[in-house]
Amino acid sequence: MNSARNLCWWVLFISAAVALQAFVPGLDVLVAGLLILLQERDYKNMFWLLPLFISIQEGMGTRFFGGTVVWYAMVIVLFKLGQWLFEVESFIFVFLLSACLAVPCYTIDWLMAPLQNLTFNIQETLDKSLVQALFLPVAWRVLSMTRQWIRTDNDVEK
Amino acid sequence: MTSRRVLILAGILLIFFLGMYTWNQRTRTLDDIAANIGLELAGAALAPLRSVQDAVTGFWRRYFDIVNAREENERLKADLRNMESRFQAVGEDLAELKRLRELIDLPKYTSLRPVGARVLAGRMGPNAVLDSITINRGYVTGARPGTPLVTHNGLVGRVLRASPHTSTVLLLTDQNSRIAVFSQTSRAFGILAGRGPGQNLEVNFVQRDANIKQDEVLLTSGLDKKYPKGIPVARVTSVAPSDYTQFMAVEAEPMVDLRHLEEVALLTSADVARPPEAPDHGPIRPAGQPAPQAAPTP
Repeated sequence: MNSARNLCWWVLFISAAVALQAFVPGLDVLVAGLLILLQERDYKNMFWLLPLFISIQEGMGTRFFGGTVVWYAMVIVLFKLGQWLFEVESFIFVFLLSACLAVPCYTIDWLMAPLQNLTFNIQETLDKSLVQALFLPVAWRVLSMTRQWIRTDNDVEK
Repeated sequence: MTSRRVLILAGILLIFFLGMYTWNQRTRTLDDIAANIGLELAGAALAPLRSVQDAVTGFWRRYFDIVNAREENERLKADLRNMESRFQAVGEDLAELKRLRELIDLPKYTSLRPVGARVLAGRMGPNAVLDSITINRGYVTGARPGTPLVTHNGLVGRVLRASPHTSTVLLLTDQNSRIAVFSQTSRAFGILAGRGPGQNLEVNFVQRDANIKQDEVLLTSGLDKKYPKGIPVARVTSVAPSDYTQFMAVEAEPMVDLRHLEEVALLTSADVARPPEAPDHGPIRPAGQPAPQAAPTP
């Protein structure tokens, strides 16, 4: 994999994710990037990208630090559990994972609200979880197609 | 054995997380780090996007502005004549107010400095649960946490979290927002509470004997020490005796259209400045009584 192209791809992805999040309140676009990292088992880049994702989401947020850490930890745990049963690069797996992630998405908001003495809005959180669940498979599909651009011939042969 | 290890590991991680969360709640160290990195990066990514968007919409608007310029010019001239006559009528009142303030030594908010800012985005990301906006000013450029934000129509909210060049602003419509206000005409005090985006505001703790009326403007009272006194916040939409409490049930709508914000002004350095000290004429004496003689110096 061409590392310069890969770096460019991630910079472009983060910029586009931030821009998209500005238009859709409550949506997490960066989680699609985490899914790509997990599928490619790219732990070297995850080492710096995951803290960056957490910093961006926590920095843009209005809650105390911690919600995004739990959210991304749940994504990793559910991915690893699903890995035993499914082919991780299949659309079905991503669709099921994204449906399952709606539960922690709702639960984390519900648990974090009383910790900071905030009002919990059930309808808004349900909508947010549903939009997130519907968004992730679509985003993953688009991102997977663009990832082919940075793959070299050696990667394809492997 | 394996499941036992997993449970122990999960327990350790939970204790570690709660410890980190509690420590951060007290010190705000991780929040500051996240704001300095994440919010700053988000601001840097959004600023060029907003510039392009402004350029495109500006070009489109200018085209329509040219088309409507003549009609608008005539309307503005009429407005200007109206404003000039009102300004002349108010000018004498202002001069009198200034004289009276100096006479009774009232504090006045002379050091409030408006600093313009551009709205970059609304609520962003899964962690943004409060009704908020993001602006292109940070603590280096005048937006320290707690700084009030206004437009020419009234109050918008206050800065919640700031990075060097970007900050997040809590809007007055958020369910966790509370502002001390009073009504402009009847001078009835209350606490203005948000009820979420797109919802009307609620004024709590207004006494039953208060003569507050519909369409009356609510101003910040300054009693909460968060906002300076006298900024228009909302307009009363309904007043009725409450069925559940001993207070009035008052609803209001924000003066500012918070869904279509583009530019705002930060009121920086909200210190109260007192007018210059008047020369000391000694204690007030009954008329005709002579002033006491100064004590001889040794």
